[in-house]
Amino acid sequence: MDVLVLCAKTALACLLIVAGGAKLSDPASFASTVRLFIPLRVAWPLLSAIAVAVSLGELAVGLASLTLPAITALNALVLAIACAFVAVSAIGYAFHRGRSCRCFGALSQRKFDAAGVLRSAVIAGIAAVALAHVGAAALQLNATARVLLLAAAGLLALAAFTAARVRGAGSEPEPKVVTQ
Amino acid sequence: MKIPLYLAVAQWTLLFAFGLLLIVVYRQLGRALHKTDTAAPLGPEVGSKAASLEYSRFADDTVQYLTPGDGQPTLLAFVEPTCLSCEKLVLALGTAEQAGELSDLRVLLLTSSPKSYLKISDAFRATRLECGRILAQATAQAYRATSTPLLVAIDRDGVVRAAAPAIQLAEVRTFSRACLLPPPAGEPIPITATAPQHETDLEAAAPAAGAD
Repeated sequence: MDVLVLCAKTALACLLIVAGGAKLSDPASFASTVRLFIPLRVAWPLLSAIAVAVSLGELAVGLASLTLPAITALNALVLAIACAFVAVSAIGYAFHRGRSCRCFGALSQRKFDAAGVLRSAVIAGIAAVALAHVGAAALQLNATARVLLLAAAGLLALAAFTAARVRGAGSEPEPKVVTQ
Repeated sequence: MKIPLYLAVAQWTLLFAFGLLLIVVYRQLGRALHKTDTAAPLGPEVGSKAASLEYSRFADDTVQYLTPGDGQPTLLAFVEPTCLSCEKLVLALGTAEQAGELSDLRVLLLTSSPKSYLKISDAFRATRLECGRILAQATAQAYRATSTPLLVAIDRDGVVRAAAPAIQLAEVRTFSRACLLPPPAGEPIPITATAPQHETDLEAAAPAAGAD
């Protein structure tokens, strides 16, 4: 049971790290999704700032959740974020069906659809599983392990950033014009 | 030395996440190097005869039937209001149009989105260019519009003279010049008949286009 709970916790932390890192590779693109959820007419720099803040928030929570497993409040925070995902997916499905959600930046071409709502609900369910109690001994990490985990998590964020950038760049090839 | 359970689980999860990212990058690299056959060709073949197309014109909600080769050069832009690069292309087309650089051409913006989607994009809402929604799946297939933005230059004889993604004003100018190229001499023009290998947004949305 402990393994299942820890798998859920670490998987969600990695998901947040990857999502945050990938979104940071193209904040302008994610800002266009943010615009969908702001009913007021907002200046583009503010939208970009919100997009960057959301991405950094995801990244920070993911890093903290992965490297500080003993802090149970982080599990509740991750559950709250997962519930926010469900709400965003449901609103997107209701009002912006078919639009790209940019949940993972350029890494994913997922759109607001019924499957997206289901996916978010599954994530929220996994976050609920991660709330279960695990013995303190299983969560004990020394300083070295913590630093190594942080380094690996940082590397994961960098890999997600790079992968999203590669995918984004790959979708805009040079034009070919043949003259006769 | 006994490793804490959390550390062991976290290591495997991180390894799994790295593996997934590696697959994503590898697939993209494969496409870039043309070593996989998953990437369908984008745009109609240059030199082929452009296919006829049917679309719903947003300006008056009428169905239009366009037959390239009727003597008027045509610049087709396959775009989506939800795509930032498409917005840039529409702005570039608008700039060229205002400068009178497209006066000899018929310029048409084609999308798979309903008319109501235009309002979410400032560029699409403000454009004075003719805009319409593709009505037949065959159109997206014939033009191999597997991703957007896609610009297709068709000359007065209905021959595709250029087809590629484009965003910038300089690219729009290149395409507009391609539309006005003199007819090619020599071999007869092949008809485009190659269907794409996988379905796209445009193709998927086309059958439902009449519902809006």
